Amino acid sequence: MNKFDVVVVGAGPAGSTAAYLLAKAGLKVLLLERGRGAGSKLLWGGKAYAQPLRDVWPELDKEAPIHRWVTKERISVLWGERAITLEYKLGRRVAFTSPLTELAAWMARKAEAAGALFLDEVVVEEIVVKDGRVVGVRSGGDFVAADVVIDAEGANRLLLEKLGLADRPNPYHMAVAAKEVISLDPRLIEERFGLERDEGLSWLVLGDVTLGIPGGGFVYTMRDTISIGIVLNVGYGAEAAEKGVLRDHISRLLENFRTHPYFRHYWKEADVIEYGGRMTVEGGLRFAPKRLYANGLLVVGDAAGMLVNAGYTIRGVDTAVTSARVAAEAVLEARDKGGFTEENLRGYEERLRKSYVYKELVDHSGVAEIFGDPFFFSKVPPFLVRAASKVFEADYAEPTLLEALKTSAQEEEINMLRLMLKVGRVVRRI
Amino acid sequence: MRIVVGIKWVPNTQAVRFDPETGTLIRKGVPSIVNPHDLPAVEAALRLREKTGGEVIAISMAPPPAVKGLELVLGMGVDRAILVTDRAFAGADTWATSYVLSHAIRKIAAEIGEVDLAIFGHETIDSSTSHVQAQVASWLDWPYLYYVKRVEPVGGKLLRVWRELEDYEEEYEVETPAVLSIAIKAFKPRPVSLSSKLRAKLEKRVLTWTNADLKLDPRCVGLKGSPTIVAKTIDMPEVPRKKEVYRPKDGKDAARWIIAKMVHDEKLREVLKGLVGGEL
Ligand SMILES: Cc1cc2nc3c(=O)[nH]c(=O)nc-3n(C[C@H](O)[C@H](O)[C@H](O)COP(=O)(O)OP(=O)(O)OC[C@H]3O[C@@H](n4cnc5c(N)ncnc54)[C@H](O)[C@@H]3O)c2cc1C
Repeated sequence: MNKFDVVVVGAGPAGSTAAYLLAKAGLKVLLLERGRGAGSKLLWGGKAYAQPLRDVWPELDKEAPIHRWVTKERISVLWGERAITLEYKLGRRVAFTSPLTELAAWMARKAEAAGALFLDEVVVEEIVVKDGRVVGVRSGGDFVAADVVIDAEGANRLLLEKLGLADRPNPYHMAVAAKEVISLDPRLIEERFGLERDEGLSWLVLGDVTLGIPGGGFVYTMRDTISIGIVLNVGYGAEAAEKGVLRDHISRLLENFRTHPYFRHYWKEADVIEYGGRMTVEGGLRFAPKRLYANGLLVVGDAAGMLVNAGYTIRGVDTAVTSARVAAEAVLEARDKGGFTEENLRGYEERLRKSYVYKELVDHSGVAEIFGDPFFFSKVPPFLVRAASKVFEADYAEPTLLEALKTSAQEEEINMLRLMLKVGRVVRRI
Repeated sequence: MRIVVGIKWVPNTQAVRFDPETGTLIRKGVPSIVNPHDLPAVEAALRLREKTGGEVIAISMAPPPAVKGLELVLGMGVDRAILVTDRAFAGADTWATSYVLSHAIRKIAAEIGEVDLAIFGHETIDSSTSHVQAQVASWLDWPYLYYVKRVEPVGGKLLRVWRELEDYEEEYEVETPAVLSIAIKAFKPRPVSLSSKLRAKLEKRVLTWTNADLKLDPRCVGLKGSPTIVAKTIDMPEVPRKKEVYRPKDGKDAARWIIAKMVHDEKLREVLKGLVGGEL
């Protein structure tokens, strides 16, 4: 009885996708989740790209807990009380907002409906290896055998570390996030953000919301809540704490963000109904484990480093879903070839390299460079805001843009040439 | 020995909020859980079964999502579970609930086999009445012992039962069938193991009984069969809190400081007066 074709560890987006597709293909699948119910341990900002999800569930638009379709993207650079904001109005439905707890629970229900056996409140303590191949998982003294195990444990890779497939994370490849959920009447959300019904907004904020530490702030509108949060690179955050730049808990930065005069009127008189924190990956490919597959094992989603952290956006759900879809295809292929040996599972990495996920990860590897350069967080925002203030806050003749940039660079002690080189590099790779 | 354990599927009251306008609990969107005080009852039943053999049957009158809760106790090692569910049972107070449960226990005795014990938790976190156990005992005309902290089989139909009271304990010999209610935290519930969870899921050992099975008079069940009327609920005023740090020289000094605070703080005086029901 304790024997399955596939055991999937973790009912996040990646795990539920793999379980869904493999159960649908007729395999005997066990999906294990340590939280109470799927999604209960999850926290994110708030928007998912729809098309990669439709590739798995064509019924997505009709069935999934979609709160709002993102029609407005905003990016702000904030310094002190001044802010520069860029807004883009989208022309079609590309991404939607939803609480990840709801979205992940929906995905797990799809897996269950397809025939996967889902058990929650089960902590997998070990992926068991025997004679050079993965043979199952262990939890609280119980062993469950599997022909193939799919590791979808997310960014906190305790199991892969135990297996020796991943090292202890490099703090500069990790970020920590604090988030709050603010409850607000849907009509007020629409009024205050200038949205139609079912329309949503996604807003990223750089600058001194993170005290110039690499990271940023985010705002997403759900149906009747607003998700706001602060993300900080762990390595640089620790450095800043040592230098005395960061003196407070991250939740205090979030508090300052929520009460900032530029933002606070959006959620005036609304209650914070939830708060939470979570770690996420910043390394992208650099965070990938030593191997994505082995005899009887595949690694998908965040655990595999399949997260695009493009600086201005964290994008991990659609990539997690896609990596899991590709993994499921590789599992079926291996089955047809006669077994889940490393050789037969090679298709996983090959298919992944051909998918858009890989292209995104490679293309955005330049972003890692940005995050490796605190300059963009501590120097560029005050410089830009200062230049804008010269243009918009001139009592008499306003300077030309070039003049404004030049004098601001001088005042902020930035070398213009160096700045332009850096910006050029970033634009090419973002 | 065949032991029936009562399970209530309750909203997680830690997550419940109070609607100050209507004076009712906002249960919408609040996740439900097995009443935590029922788990020691399950544990007591399992330990007894380990000594005497037989089976443990969990029973719950609840809407269908409560299957999750029954699966949880199956995962602890309960042999099978019965979900008693019917729209007609909705809105029941403790009286109507105990009526349905006692008939379900009779049905178990008639169809599955003689029932020796019915074990319940001490109370539920969402209503804290402790009525249902006593009422089940009354309907069945079985002896009832509560605050139970230990049970040992003596042989034959006899059980030795220890009750825990404020500063003493009582020891009883009771003849089965009987109803017991287990003191809060008297038994530490065992963890749910992966393999028994799997078994619970795969063997589908949750039976569902509706009123088509129990055939109870609709006037005696659900809202119609419930004589309780909630006349009014009062929201307890929030005790104002403020943070003060005092570093006492010693224990005496600390006590003096606290008492002085309590006597001199106007708001606190009001609260204390309310508690003792008069002047201080
Ligand atoms: C602050 C923040 C904002 C984000 N914003 C966005 C966004 O707007 N858009 C976007 O696309 N992505 C966003 N992401 C990223 C996204 O949330 C992740 O990329 C995505 O959830 C990864 O899915 P996953 O299934 O790989 O892992 P996870 O979602 O982490 O799921 C892993 C699951 O495995 C379970 N688990 C772990 N270990 C065990 C074990 N040993 N036994 C049993 N179960 C276990 C966990 O409980 C969890 O449920 C954000 C992330 C953060 C932190």
